[in-house]
Amino acid sequence: MPENTREIRETIDGLREEIRRIERRPPQRACFTSSGRPEIDALLPGGGFPRGALAELAGGPASGKTGVVLSALAHAMGTKGLAAFVDGRGELYPPAVTSFGVDLARLLAVRPIAPERGACESVRYALWAAEALLASGAFEAVAMDVPVERVRAREQIERVRAREQIERARVSALDAASLDRMFLRLRAAAEKGGGVALWLGLPQGARVPSAARLELSAGAAGVQVRRAFARGAAGAPLTEWQGTSPCPSPSLDASHAA
Amino acid sequence: MQLELPATPAIAEARVSRRVLALCIPDLPLQRVLRAREAIPERGARANPRVPLAVERDGRVVACDAEARARGVRRGDALVQARAACAELEAVPADDGKDRSALEGLAEALLALSPAVEIAWPDALLLDASGAHLLAREGTDGEGELAARAIALAADLGLRCRAAVASGRATARALARHAPAPTPVVHEGGAGDGAAALAGLPISALDLPSPLEERLLALGLGQVRDLSRLPEETLAHRFGAAGLAAWRLAQGIDPSPLVPYVPDRLPEERLDLEAPIESSGPLLFGLKRLCDRLAARLGGRGLGATRLTLALRLDPRRPGNEVRLEIALAVPSSDASRWLLVLRERLGALQLPAAVAAAVLGVAEAAPARAEQLALGDRPEQYAALEVVLTRLAARLGDGALFAAQLMDRHRPEAAYQAGAFAGGRRRNAKAGKGRRGRGEDGRPGDEAMEAGLPISALVRPTRLLPRPQPLVALGEGGRLTALRVGTRTLRVLALSPAERLTSEWWGDPFDRDYHRARIEGLGDCWIFRDAGDGRLWLHGFFD
Repeated sequence: MPENTREIRETIDGLREEIRRIERRPPQRACFTSSGRPEIDALLPGGGFPRGALAELAGGPASGKTGVVLSALAHAMGTKGLAAFVDGRGELYPPAVTSFGVDLARLLAVRPIAPERGACESVRYALWAAEALLASGAFEAVAMDVPVERVRAREQIERVRAREQIERARVSALDAASLDRMFLRLRAAAEKGGGVALWLGLPQGARVPSAARLELSAGAAGVQVRRAFARGAAGAPLTEWQGTSPCPSPSLDASHAA
Repeated sequence: MQLELPATPAIAEARVSRRVLALCIPDLPLQRVLRAREAIPERGARANPRVPLAVERDGRVVACDAEARARGVRRGDALVQARAACAELEAVPADDGKDRSALEGLAEALLALSPAVEIAWPDALLLDASGAHLLAREGTDGEGELAARAIALAADLGLRCRAAVASGRATARALARHAPAPTPVVHEGGAGDGAAALAGLPISALDLPSPLEERLLALGLGQVRDLSRLPEETLAHRFGAAGLAAWRLAQGIDPSPLVPYVPDRLPEERLDLEAPIESSGPLLFGLKRLCDRLAARLGGRGLGATRLTLALRLDPRRPGNEVRLEIALAVPSSDASRWLLVLRERLGALQLPAAVAAAVLGVAEAAPARAEQLALGDRPEQYAALEVVLTRLAARLGDGALFAAQLMDRHRPEAAYQAGAFAGGRRRNAKAGKGRRGRGEDGRPGDEAMEAGLPISALVRPTRLLPRPQPLVALGEGGRLTALRVGTRTLRVLALSPAERLTSEWWGDPFDRDYHRARIEGLGDCWIFRDAGDGRLWLHGFFD
């Protein structure tokens, strides 16, 4: 019975880890965590999302990246672990989260959104929160959905305005260089905490120092996923997988009349 | 007729053989002043450590440090006389209120070691040591271990102590006052055997009333042994009950019970800075000491703080010279390092208008800090890390920014969940645990089923819900929806699901919407609805 065998194996692994903890040896975690979808695991180096490193999922607003991330969170959490979702856009919809197998009681949602702070400060707070969560080591996986592109757009607007008005250039407090530094800090925090760090980005978004990058796009037949970048093998897309949306899907009727 | 019952041997033994640990803090006024100065950052670097220091009361020196003693200053000297011996002597006025607070603080912390602690003003604390045998291990005796722990705890709080364990309050206190620091004295004898231990001590060690002590000294009774050798009847005849009591004390007989100290308010600690501080680094250095002391006091009472207050008194030369911070903690905690983490976060985000001249850290709210029962497989270090990070995030982002979502039985998509406290999956929500079968918290059906996730998993919901729906313009031909205009872009509709009608509950705000999942070219699967009220189309979410 494979299910029974798996449970026994998990129990033995848990006991081994317990002995390791009692003997004060460093925890031995798997280097990779499955995304929960074998087709996507096949695209990832190591057969899953790396632990202790950043992984990026880039795609449009309905490309299916959040579904992949939620599926990976559920897999990383297992039966006792915790996960966190830094929801910098305030768009995560919990009623859909349970359908991916995520236990809402063990998912910490962080929404550092305060209109009085402004976009720049909200992004800064979200990145700080993500760094703290990653470095704590208390979470098996941390997903980060931070609208850094809004800050970059604002920065560009301010640069143009400054040029036009021939006045001293007013650059946003969170410029590209400081954003890059923050990404490096995120990577260091992920290495320190040892959990899975998943960055949700836009296709043309900020460049994240990730160990694995998946690009997702929505097509007529469903979701297309391709591995765009991997540490040590940077360059052109290596593999492509085309499948249905990770979201549970009802029947869609192309001829339906609205 | 009143019957006088003879005391049973067991009761009599219990009354006289109570073991007491006495802690004596020599030169408490001086130690308190030095402790306060150690907590001041940069003091050690700036101040000349060779400046002799003395504490004076009514023009007389009551305590002085080793440097002052080396220059000829003695306790009891007139201040003028002391200054004549040592011109650079720094004299600090005594403050009984602060000395008492220091003793009370130590007594609170020592409650972690003993069930009863008595404050024996002005310089001693008496602890019930009758349970010390429980601390005995192979090669060590329990009473010595208890005394060593008490000394170490006092040292952590910045106070140097002498300790002695004996039967009876007076014997223990007398031995502690004359104990060679820092080794604790443990007198093994039972009740009445203390005479030998006390024999070599001066009469003043018994802490007798002043007139009696003076009369005994006038008679040439300088040591305790001189008193204990006298016949009991003679003393009773000459000095009355006081003489008899003194003789009993000299024999080591003191059956009086301890008077336990019961703290009546939550603790607070104060840091006075001689020179105002402008940067947060040195201030945190001082606050660390305050946190250590406060946490030890609270931990001794078995409590954990849930809310701290920090009052920063700013430079008095500036107006509006106080800043108060309220710091909420995620779980009851008496761990100073966790408090300090939160304080660091809050101070880092604070811009003070002037330098800080004093800081008062207090516990505004506390709750019993329960010991956690761990099971095999639990990760206490992970729990600790979780509490620390939650506390930091709550301090910086505000409590409302962190939550665990709880599903609600509501038709309106925006109200289909609510933010609840995140407990890391360790505690179930009280409401969820006591949910009525098939009924919601306000009597409406389905909360329990919703918590089980059944209806939601049966339904299809988008992973992203826009905070505000965006207007769409429908384009079609022959009654069919063929395209949608999103902003300035026109996108082709590739497929559309049948409508799912969502209407308001009878008690809620009215709404009537037909939701569709639409596959839109170049965008993906979207959740759109047609408002039945005005017929307009809206984009409400993404199946991302």
